[in-house]
Amino acid sequence: MTAQAEAESEVAKEWEPRIAAFCCNWCSYAGADLAGTSRIQYPPNARIIRVNCTGRIDAEFILSALDMGADGVLVSGCHPGDCHYTSGNLKLRARWALIELAVEQAGIDSRRIRLQWASASEAQTFADGVTKLIEQVKEVGPIGRSWI
Amino acid sequence: MTEAEAGTAEGTEIPRIGVFVCHCGHNIAGTVDVETVAKTAESFPHVEFATHFMFMCADSGQQLIKEKISEHNLNRVVVASCSPRMHEPTFRKVVEEADLNRYLFEQVNLREHVSWCHMREPEAATEKAVDLVRMAVARAALLQSLPVKTVKVEPVTLVVGGGVTGLRAALDVADRGFSVVLVEREGKLGGHVAKLASVYPTGEKGTTLTNQLIKRVKDHSRIKVLTNATVTDLDGYIGNFDISTTSNGKEETHRVGAIIVATGVQPFKPQGYYGYGEHPDILTLAEVEEMRLRGEVLRPSNGEPPRTMAYIGCVGSREPGVKGHEHCSRVCCTAVAKSASELKDIADEIVILYEDLRTYGRGHEAIHREARHKHVIYSKFPPDRKPRTEIVDGKIILHWHDVFSDDKLVLEPDMLILASAMVPPEGIDDVAKVFSLTRSPDGFFNPEHVKLAPLTTHTAGIMIAGGAQAAKGAAEAITDASGAAAKAVGLMARGEVEIESTVSNVIEELCSSCHTCISACPYGAIAMDESKDPPIAHVTEAKCHGCGTCAAACPSSAIVMLHSTDDQIMAMVEAYLCPIEPRGGAT
Repeated sequence: MTAQAEAESEVAKEWEPRIAAFCCNWCSYAGADLAGTSRIQYPPNARIIRVNCTGRIDAEFILSALDMGADGVLVSGCHPGDCHYTSGNLKLRARWALIELAVEQAGIDSRRIRLQWASASEAQTFADGVTKLIEQVKEVGPIGRSWI
Repeated sequence: MTEAEAGTAEGTEIPRIGVFVCHCGHNIAGTVDVETVAKTAESFPHVEFATHFMFMCADSGQQLIKEKISEHNLNRVVVASCSPRMHEPTFRKVVEEADLNRYLFEQVNLREHVSWCHMREPEAATEKAVDLVRMAVARAALLQSLPVKTVKVEPVTLVVGGGVTGLRAALDVADRGFSVVLVEREGKLGGHVAKLASVYPTGEKGTTLTNQLIKRVKDHSRIKVLTNATVTDLDGYIGNFDISTTSNGKEETHRVGAIIVATGVQPFKPQGYYGYGEHPDILTLAEVEEMRLRGEVLRPSNGEPPRTMAYIGCVGSREPGVKGHEHCSRVCCTAVAKSASELKDIADEIVILYEDLRTYGRGHEAIHREARHKHVIYSKFPPDRKPRTEIVDGKIILHWHDVFSDDKLVLEPDMLILASAMVPPEGIDDVAKVFSLTRSPDGFFNPEHVKLAPLTTHTAGIMIAGGAQAAKGAAEAITDASGAAAKAVGLMARGEVEIESTVSNVIEELCSSCHTCISACPYGAIAMDESKDPPIAHVTEAKCHGCGTCAAACPSSAIVMLHSTDDQIMAMVEAYLCPIEPRGGAT
């Protein structure tokens, strides 16, 4: 193996954040579908978990994901006012303030979590949001267990 | 595991999962190593069988799933293919045909979410695909069969909008023997087409067309027309929507089985474009049409007939990056050709400035040719150098660059007519909100699928037709209307329809009577059952839409959102982040 190839394989082994992404079925999951249909290329770090509504997302899901070693957690839903279920996303938004607080109090950098609104037609917004979270998480580094 | 018990008694059976990885031709397999995905899946907990195949959705793929279910006695099926928003109904039907409950199926999105968006990273894409399949398998192991419910369909259709689309749809439904409630926002029926002096390709007055429809609608015993009306509230679900309307200050409620949204378009008022609003003789095409309906075309500034006229096309249409104005309005090119061709009989000179020309419909090209025959002058301007207007001493001076002569040209038209975009009408925000419909960036309602299901929406039982779906001409809108009416009639003629069983469920022993769920529910589907002591929360299933907000809000974990339980969701998180070690190596 040449020195250059070795250096490249080092880069390849570089840490990549693991992102758990909760998306609502009606807006952001569909937005992610459109990102694919539009062949928008974005980093492959996120694993999408489909829920009917962001209102379904319990604070526990996010805290547990971080506890299990997710480097970042994304929550993506319909814009306020555009919720398929009228107001589920508003319930999540209200919960989010608490989630951020809980995350910080657990000693976790709040840059590891991101709440975004991306409609079914906002493929680029969705992809940009994933990219943004990955960048944020890369700044913070791999998640550790120091808070336990 | 209280949640497992909440579903069915079958919850105790040992999962036997089959994993089917789809190539989707080259769409998935071109990026993702499907063979590795299938091979790896064999080692996941409870997986009895895993394979990959060219097209899982094809007849042969469906047959394969059914055969393997029976051969391996599978009781859960995972298909890793395209978006479940596309083929979940297809595969649910397949497993049902193999005597498995439809809720024991789980789909993985390897196409839209993996291969298409990580095309240059095949290794990372394959790794992601493996993770997603592992997550789906973990969830599948916890899936419970749910009862498939059918409800009766109320034989009444609500039509929202009384333009040509709504009128045609109402007649089509009513002529087949079903009742219609037609709601029109304005004081009279006819919509945008009734305001046109000449409708292409025939050149008839708009009202000639709309009056025929209006007369039949008004005389029809099965159609109830509400004018100056809006739908203020919607409750219920496919087959049984409860709507509240207000019409001329009078409020009513109706139960309808299907809904057709035909809200149409309105011409854009192009403030800030080409001096619109700065000179009385700069008008939109729609305004000139209304002027022609009232009488002659005369310059508003002095009441004289115009001698020299100019049109500009694509005003507020086809503007990349401008929200609400990115689309082609489809009607303008032909409408401008028709208008110019007719007005050439009274004017000496007519110039049409255009960016591109799209006279695409049946008979439209003949209209374009006729205009050229009558010596209407067409001049193409480049998209990045739009024409410019200035007002000098009360005169309109038009400057533009002609592409074909590569020359700067100047004209002083007596009248400048702007072919402004067709945009969603005022009040569309309220309609979107009441019916929970999503919209494209241009503001039109999203169809269920842009190619395969253009008239249905993601809300079962609600159809969109005509301008509600995209800017389009009257003929196309009317085609939509008949299509949407056929959908509504099909639903009502069947008389019953299957509804989702994915509702929330209260575990009575855990409920602490805190009322949190009641305030969380967007539909008022949860109430306290006062007959119990202490009173406990009770979900009215018919009102539940399955968002799961209550399940997340409940501090006692007393609410189970069926098919989206805490355990099912957390199993996916766990399978991604802390997977169980594979069983004794891949077999």
